[in-house]
Amino acid sequence: MLVFVIRLIIFSNNLKNFNGHIIRISAKVLQEPSKFSNSQKFYLEGFNFYLPKYPQINYGDRVTVEGTVQSGKVINAKLINLENNENVLLGFRKKIISFYKKSLPEPHSSLISGIILGYKSEQTGIFWSQLRKTGTMHVVVASGMNVAFVAGFLMSILLMFMPRKKAILVSLVGIWIYSFISGFEAPIVRSTIMFSIALVAQLFGRLSFSINALFLSALLMLIIKPSWIYDLGFILSFTATASLMLFTKRVEKLLKWFPKYIKTDLTTTLAAQIGVAPILFVTFGGFNLLSPLVNTLILWTVPLIMIIGSVGGIVGLIIPGFGRLILYLTYPLTWYFISIVGIFS
Amino acid sequence: MKIWKIVFLLEFLVITSLLLAILSFNNKKFQIIACDVGQGDAILAIYGDIQILTDGGPDSKVLDCLGAYIPFWDNTIELVILTHPDKDHFGGLIDVFERYEVLSFLKTKATSSNQSYQVLESIVGGKEVDTIYASDSLSIRLGKIYLDILNPIDSNEVSIEDKNLNNSSIVSVLKFGNFEALLTGDIEIEGINRLIMEGKIHDVDYLKVPHHGSKNNITSGLLRFSSPEVAVISVGKNSYGHPNKEVLDLLNKLNIRVLRTDELGSILIEVNKEGQFYLD
Repeated sequence: MLVFVIRLIIFSNNLKNFNGHIIRISAKVLQEPSKFSNSQKFYLEGFNFYLPKYPQINYGDRVTVEGTVQSGKVINAKLINLENNENVLLGFRKKIISFYKKSLPEPHSSLISGIILGYKSEQTGIFWSQLRKTGTMHVVVASGMNVAFVAGFLMSILLMFMPRKKAILVSLVGIWIYSFISGFEAPIVRSTIMFSIALVAQLFGRLSFSINALFLSALLMLIIKPSWIYDLGFILSFTATASLMLFTKRVEKLLKWFPKYIKTDLTTTLAAQIGVAPILFVTFGGFNLLSPLVNTLILWTVPLIMIIGSVGGIVGLIIPGFGRLILYLTYPLTWYFISIVGIFS
Repeated sequence: MKIWKIVFLLEFLVITSLLLAILSFNNKKFQIIACDVGQGDAILAIYGDIQILTDGGPDSKVLDCLGAYIPFWDNTIELVILTHPDKDHFGGLIDVFERYEVLSFLKTKATSSNQSYQVLESIVGGKEVDTIYASDSLSIRLGKIYLDILNPIDSNEVSIEDKNLNNSSIVSVLKFGNFEALLTGDIEIEGINRLIMEGKIHDVDYLKVPHHGSKNNITSGLLRFSSPEVAVISVGKNSYGHPNKEVLDLLNKLNIRVLRTDELGSILIEVNKEGQFYLD
């Protein structure tokens, strides 16, 4: 805890000291840049940089940028140098996203790249404002849910071939690779740390896994990267998870009489909303009451899209035509997803 | 999950995607869509599996329009036309060339020093795209769609860094059966008058109003000679005062139906085999 407090103090002092100075930073881009219609934004050493849309910067690239600091913001940012990352896994990510973009029309390709790899597309179209309105944005950006699916999927497949202990170890490696490929977004890292704690606990035969693991992972993350404390994604993902742990059982009791098929999704959404809703209300000044319903209607498509989409993407890198055919199987699902979001917004 | 459940699910997905693939394909009607791309132009013409895109708007918004009207399994666009290299016409083409396989690219020799235009050129250069330079003797046929070029007279005469690119805009007539659409880019009065003098403007059904309805780009002469049934204005939020009030008044006075993308979103007009057309 002490380490954390000291780290936070150093961090906030750093920001103040540079006011009015021209800074030049050379560093690796550690998070997927956000893209807008005319610009792209990324985060480097405590500052947000806005640069023209081209040349496109990817997660993992090393950049040198220059700009003037004014009240905590960087203005007149310029790109001095860009070194593309040659890492195999990141190359893999780039190729799969480009395959999705070439194989499916918008907004289907953005939806799939968002759900599977946490890719942030330009989000200019109508679909993105509809997602915001219906409170379903969290599904399309990288979220802890993805890690849960990957962990669950790996475990259930691996248990067919190997003993439990081995399966746990391989899954552990698997979710960390996934978390790396999908851009180390706050919710993904939080979830990966938590699942790792849970998996390790299982390895040592302890099933107790709770709110302690959540706070431990929060602490670990903030020690590594204090600036996350301002990250809305980070805050929301923690509140959502804490709220899930505290309220799921109670909500389940209330919904006893609901049909089995929709009960799990509805319970999960409602329980998460109890904690998240007030934050959304304060930050965005609004909250969609239909949001839990829309979430319940679309959540079931997400694991299917993840599985078929990743198989299609991987096959597509080897035999593009065949991969594309597999990918077309997700079209009815994304079509349904987009229609539902459209109807309720 | 049990095996039979997985098989059932896969079968269900195969059937529904086939169903959607068939439903999205339409070879009965010719469609012309003025895409809602904000302030800018992007006009898509479709018949069967053939697509012609005239300009791409300022940014990636054009992709939503292409995604909504082109069948999802068709990632080939037969012809892309860039009327002139202004950002509100070429910006979105960068994304179009990145995502779709474009067979032919029709343009003029005009270029722009704009950084994004360089990006577009390098993307097009890296692909196997057949580049065609426009001249007024050029006619193109794609399936049942015909395209006649009216302007510029000769692409070689378009000076490479002309200050005012508007008058070198590609102006074309798109024909399907008896239906004709006049697509004007950003051509200005000077260029329009020349086309009228040369007798190139004749009666059409559909007019894409030049330059987003700006004041310096339309004359009553153009409207009389082309006498369109509908005039489409592709316009979004802007600080230039497009579309101009006088232009709108003129169109109203001549009883021409005005369709604006800033009011209606993307505007789809369908034409049947007899050449009758209606607004969707």
